[in-house]
Amino acid sequence: MTQKLKAWFMGLPKALRILIAALLIVLVLLVPRFLTSSYIMGIVCRILLYCTLAGSLNVINGYTGQFSIGHAGFFAVGCYTTAVLSSHYGWNFWFTLPIAGILTAIIGLLVALPTFRMTGIYLSIVTLGFSEIIRLVALNWTGLTGGPLGIKGIPAPQFLGMNVRRAGDYYYIFLLFAVLFLLITARVLKSRIGRAWMSIREDQQAAQSLGVELVKYKAMNFAYGAFWAGLAGAIYAPYINYVDSNTFTLDEGFNILSMAIIGGMGTLGGPVLGSFVVNILNELLRPVSAYRLVVYGLLIVVMMWIRPQGLIGASDSMLANNRTGLDLLERLGFKKRKTA
Amino acid sequence: MDYAISIFVNGIVQGSIYALMALGYSVIVGITGLVTFTHGEVIMMGAFASFYVFELFGNNILIGAVGSFIVCGILGIIIYKVCYERFLAAPRHIALICTIGASMMIKNLAQIVFGPNQKPMMGIVKNQLVKIGPVQLSVLQLVILAIVLILALGLSLFFSKTKYGVAMRAVSQDKTAASLMGLNVNANVLLGNIIGCGLAGVAGMLISVYYQAFQATMGGPLGMKAFSASVLGGLTDSRFAALGGLFLGIIENFGIAVSSASFRDIFAFIFLILILILKPQGFSKKGGIKL
Repeated sequence: MTQKLKAWFMGLPKALRILIAALLIVLVLLVPRFLTSSYIMGIVCRILLYCTLAGSLNVINGYTGQFSIGHAGFFAVGCYTTAVLSSHYGWNFWFTLPIAGILTAIIGLLVALPTFRMTGIYLSIVTLGFSEIIRLVALNWTGLTGGPLGIKGIPAPQFLGMNVRRAGDYYYIFLLFAVLFLLITARVLKSRIGRAWMSIREDQQAAQSLGVELVKYKAMNFAYGAFWAGLAGAIYAPYINYVDSNTFTLDEGFNILSMAIIGGMGTLGGPVLGSFVVNILNELLRPVSAYRLVVYGLLIVVMMWIRPQGLIGASDSMLANNRTGLDLLERLGFKKRKTA
Repeated sequence: MDYAISIFVNGIVQGSIYALMALGYSVIVGITGLVTFTHGEVIMMGAFASFYVFELFGNNILIGAVGSFIVCGILGIIIYKVCYERFLAAPRHIALICTIGASMMIKNLAQIVFGPNQKPMMGIVKNQLVKIGPVQLSVLQLVILAIVLILALGLSLFFSKTKYGVAMRAVSQDKTAASLMGLNVNANVLLGNIIGCGLAGVAGMLISVYYQAFQATMGGPLGMKAFSASVLGGLTDSRFAALGGLFLGIIENFGIAVSSASFRDIFAFIFLILILILKPQGFSKKGGIKL
């Protein structure tokens, strides 16, 4: 569907294309003018934040077929880095950003390095453990992280000369980073590095025999994903204004994971859609919020049964390789699609 | 010195429970050839099952063990139907994601049904101390050791002596060859899943009796410990997995003695990372999966 949309768009005359793009940009920039309710702006900000987070997880899970589940851990590292640097040491928010990203990437790399020679499951368990360990460390290292009390009153950043306080202002920061993430990642994926990642996903042995250094590219991939997760955490810290370890439970990691899986892995649009779907579902399920994660779990299982690549995932990759799913669809009365 | 010995003994008792979890884990991974994330939740369900069995039938630890084995065996059938049956031939990550989804469902449903708070499980076994030489043990610890030993020996006999056990080993080594020899692969995988989950259930009961408390969120760290222990056996070799569990228990107890109990789950993680650095393939022999 996305391809059809793209083909239709590219078929338009150039002036019209520019006009549509400009209109879209103006519309997106004016969103806080139309949606003045801070409740709705909060949801929009969450959607944009999780676009970056789920997208960075998708870089790891969807493009090299490694399987990280402890993304909340990297999110936490980034968040605490900014919180500590800006509230304890009075750093400017914008200087803490690269530190948070790079620190997260380094820590992620150190944790994942022993697993790159093994099959994916080892990485899954190590990241799962790491996420829980980070939470425990944050809870118990009272001197640095405030322990169970957390860190309060993280200073608001300056953006274009004004203090960013309301959700409507943070919207622009979240938007900036979501767009930056998508643009940069799109470039990386078109480069040799991105192609190497995808070849690892499709067939490790074939990739290796064609000269792709597995450990090097897996490490680059993992560090890249962790970097953006750390960055997302760094932006989240002043937005939420109060960081404590309860934010970063395993459930948070599963929340991010379900966005990537439901939206679709292996495409840039997938996690964006997933972030929309899951966050709006989150609001709809608010009256029965205890069942939220049950529903996500059910959706994940149903996705695997029917459409393992997710809603708009890479249907031409091994992520979509599941004959049983098609059988099920046929039994439910859908016709088999003809493959051209 | 006495202090060190008592830590060591506590470590062995706790390690034997971890060993039981790791046994179940390696049976499941060995027989399905796919990994599972539901193990921790199955352990948690075992604790709840035994709690209700104790309420209904009185505080008999053997009846509790049978009850939690049966309940978790049934859970194993459900997990097999949801996560494995259709995906034995599909790419590995599909079953993996499926088990993550299933574990999210089980864990959160358990929190809704049973409540999120910690529940006490007291006085299942009389609290008496027994002195053997310099070693002081409680009756409970002896009971735990005995149950784990009996189950481990029973499992070993089952796999080496009985027809079903041999069939399961064949399936775990090569599914295609096994089906060519006339074995029903799906039935064997189902049976392996039931046994693995049942053992996890018993382990869940033992750990909650040992800690005298249990809760719906305890599954996550325990599942990770089961995994870390079975990494020592290359995920599929039960004997080294059990040994890994023992090591893990001892390391954990000494670690807590020098730091604090709030860091309990960190030692399993350090153990896992160390094995991955030093001996990533574990100690299983090459050439097929060994049970």
